[in-house]
Amino acid sequence: MAGDTTASLGGSQVALVTGGYDHTIKLWQAHSGVCLRTMQHPDSQVNSLEISPTSMVAAAGFQHIRLYDLSSANPDPVTTFEDISKNVSRVGFQKNGTWMYTGGEDCTARIWDPRAAPRTRCQKIFQVQAPVNAVMLHPDQSQIMVGDQSGIIHIWDLKTDQNEQLIPEAEASIQDIAIDPAGKMMAAVNNKGNCYVWSLSGQPPHPVPKKHITAHSKYALRCKFSPDSTMLVTTSGDCSAKIWRTSDWALLRELRRDTQRWVWDAAFTLDSRFLFTGSSDSYARLWNIERGTLEREYCGHQKAITALAFKDQPV
Amino acid sequence: MATYDNKIWLLKNIRDAFIATDDTGLCEIVMAGEDFSKIFQIKGLEEKKRIKEARALQPGTSKIREGGDSCEDFEREIITQFEPYPDIDESEDEDPLGSSYVRYEEFGGYRQRSNTSQWLDKKEQALKKAAKIKVIKWEDSSPLSKEQCMELFPTVEVKPPEKQKSLLAQQLENCPDLPHRQYLEYGKFDGTAQLGLQTKCFKIFMTMLSEKHQNYPLVVCVIASAKIKDLIGFTCYKYSIEHPEISLGSVHEYGLCIAEDDGEVDWAFPCLDANEPCSKFGFTCLGLIELKNKKSFNSPPIPMPDDGHVFHLFPKMTDSGQSHNNPSRHNTGGSQTSEAVISALRAVNEEKKSSEDANLEKIQCHIMATEAPQYKSYKVQLLRKVRTNTSVQLGISLDRIEIEPLVTHKHVFWSNSRSKYFLHSIESVAWCQILETRGYRTTFRIVYSPSQKNNSALDKNASEHAGYSHLHTTYKYHDFESDHETAKEIVEKVNTILDLLNSSCRREYKISKEKKSQTRRSFHTKHLS
Repeated sequence: MAGDTTASLGGSQVALVTGGYDHTIKLWQAHSGVCLRTMQHPDSQVNSLEISPTSMVAAAGFQHIRLYDLSSANPDPVTTFEDISKNVSRVGFQKNGTWMYTGGEDCTARIWDPRAAPRTRCQKIFQVQAPVNAVMLHPDQSQIMVGDQSGIIHIWDLKTDQNEQLIPEAEASIQDIAIDPAGKMMAAVNNKGNCYVWSLSGQPPHPVPKKHITAHSKYALRCKFSPDSTMLVTTSGDCSAKIWRTSDWALLRELRRDTQRWVWDAAFTLDSRFLFTGSSDSYARLWNIERGTLEREYCGHQKAITALAFKDQPV
Repeated sequence: MATYDNKIWLLKNIRDAFIATDDTGLCEIVMAGEDFSKIFQIKGLEEKKRIKEARALQPGTSKIREGGDSCEDFEREIITQFEPYPDIDESEDEDPLGSSYVRYEEFGGYRQRSNTSQWLDKKEQALKKAAKIKVIKWEDSSPLSKEQCMELFPTVEVKPPEKQKSLLAQQLENCPDLPHRQYLEYGKFDGTAQLGLQTKCFKIFMTMLSEKHQNYPLVVCVIASAKIKDLIGFTCYKYSIEHPEISLGSVHEYGLCIAEDDGEVDWAFPCLDANEPCSKFGFTCLGLIELKNKKSFNSPPIPMPDDGHVFHLFPKMTDSGQSHNNPSRHNTGGSQTSEAVISALRAVNEEKKSSEDANLEKIQCHIMATEAPQYKSYKVQLLRKVRTNTSVQLGISLDRIEIEPLVTHKHVFWSNSRSKYFLHSIESVAWCQILETRGYRTTFRIVYSPSQKNNSALDKNASEHAGYSHLHTTYKYHDFESDHETAKEIVEKVNTILDLLNSSCRREYKISKEKKSQTRRSFHTKHLS
């Protein structure tokens, strides 16, 4: 079916993938709203999704990370990363896809080398005291921000293995960390709905507190900068996603829908004009940021969508 | 192997071999039937005898008579059409039959595979699948040296990203309003690649499309809890994705019917209930059909009396026919109507509701015929010569037609004095037809015979006219007005009932009508000549 659809609806495809509690990962044709393919993610929910530069999608789940090939019709993963004792909460790729980084409930952040042995393994582990909720690679590719449930942000220098700690708010779990593509700003959200912003400068980059926003009344789940660094989106358990202007930290848009429930994940398009969100009501949505209108709804999951990834380039 | 083409041999073989190899149950059919090999053997012998006698009579074949010893040999040479297999008895223990038990299995017999072998197969498939997946385990290797770290994790200079165009934005702009958009919400019933959810697959024939588009069924897989209407929606969704050039209508315009393997829809059954989950149905081949004229087919349900009594549909001996002119009769008596009757009524209404979606012209007639005898009431206008038209409730059932004035309580006094309640036994009704259609109204006429009441036990008015003779039959009529659809339905219903009963009154009316037209014709012809 995937082949037919691609042919009939024409053109090169951008990739929107969603995953969640129904143990499936769906690949969507973003402009038409049609589900092109469903991949199986047995035994676990999907905690996080990320598309690699080589068009592989990584799904972080319970005790493993699975890599699926988006360019083939294979519904099964091509690679699995195993031997992790607990949930993997976040996954990301190095710029060229040479290595993958993850953070998990086993209180570690790890660097994985997808290449098989016996080559030199680019492998690293960073142990913290609390379950890791967020990992974010600095665009300079040499530092990883690790946010844990005790509320600490560890700045892990990959070259030296040294680390620095930030505690924006006591007794609040860090839920997500974002760094803008220019590497000038860092944002973190916590389970109280607060958002903290730092400016990053120097070599190696050093964070300087810049702004505190009471972004949501409840649990914040995700934060992300737009590709042009002019906006920051925060998603929350208050059933909304909010877009903040980075120039003056004013609220630009509140994306809300009556039926929408917890908003777990979000992704911008390359031109920063549209935003995808994934919600517990099992719908993914595409919003026009400028107009604040809902452009598309992606319907197909049986349960909550907890992760999504979008690549605005042909796959 | 040529023997496998031999039907008789096969039948015989099945008889002989059933215990060893057959678990399809086919042997039972063969066993229960006649033993053809025996019958054919007997027939063959008879035929041989006949041929032999015929040849013996022929003068040219004198050789036979001469050589009496060769008679038996010759007999063997005569092969009749009943000879299934030369020397079937002799060859029975020989190789072709003996070894056929084994061959039978590998050739045609299909034995159900055991659970173990199925399980082994699954296991093997899982292993194959697993073999294709590369597994990378976390190994606690020695930490990388400082030099290695420097080499493996170099600092990349961060350039401010250039302004990039979005491919998606471009696609959104170019994306026409695709036909599948209206069905997108049904995407969630997709059963493919579901884990831990029961799914159901259907072959759906798009019978409402032109013939060249319905050669192949659309195979759809939905989650088992999807309702039939969801299945319809999902079918439209899938079809419109695969064939964007064909535009389908709204989901509510379609219904699903049971179909054969070849796509032939079984019109004898109504559409599947749109609100039932598809897991309830065992059929795998369905036909998607168009529901036409839904509006005209939406018959109102049988009125359910709120206070537990049903007016003339189930008359009780005690109060049937009483107080015709009493508009308050709805509130009198009838409290004993049993629960069973009400539940029966409910069932009928339920059925109607469920068949509402099955609005097909084809089955419409069928339903009309079966439903015609059921009681049904309509709100129509009774036309009067002198006074203004009055709105009445026209009730039609298998044994009567009743015309009950509909009055608002304000005008009870007036209407009591003005409008009348009519009750005609169906035996006294002779004719029903549409008179004319004007604008959005249609007038129709019901012809009845006021004298034809002696048969009617139901009609108490009969007593006053009992003396009339059949010979002096006069006909009266009521004219009504309503919208087209109702008029059409009433006329059809009444005529179906009249045709069903074919009462003497109707026959007489028909005859007199024919006579009239004949005389008119002869009058015309006379004048013309």
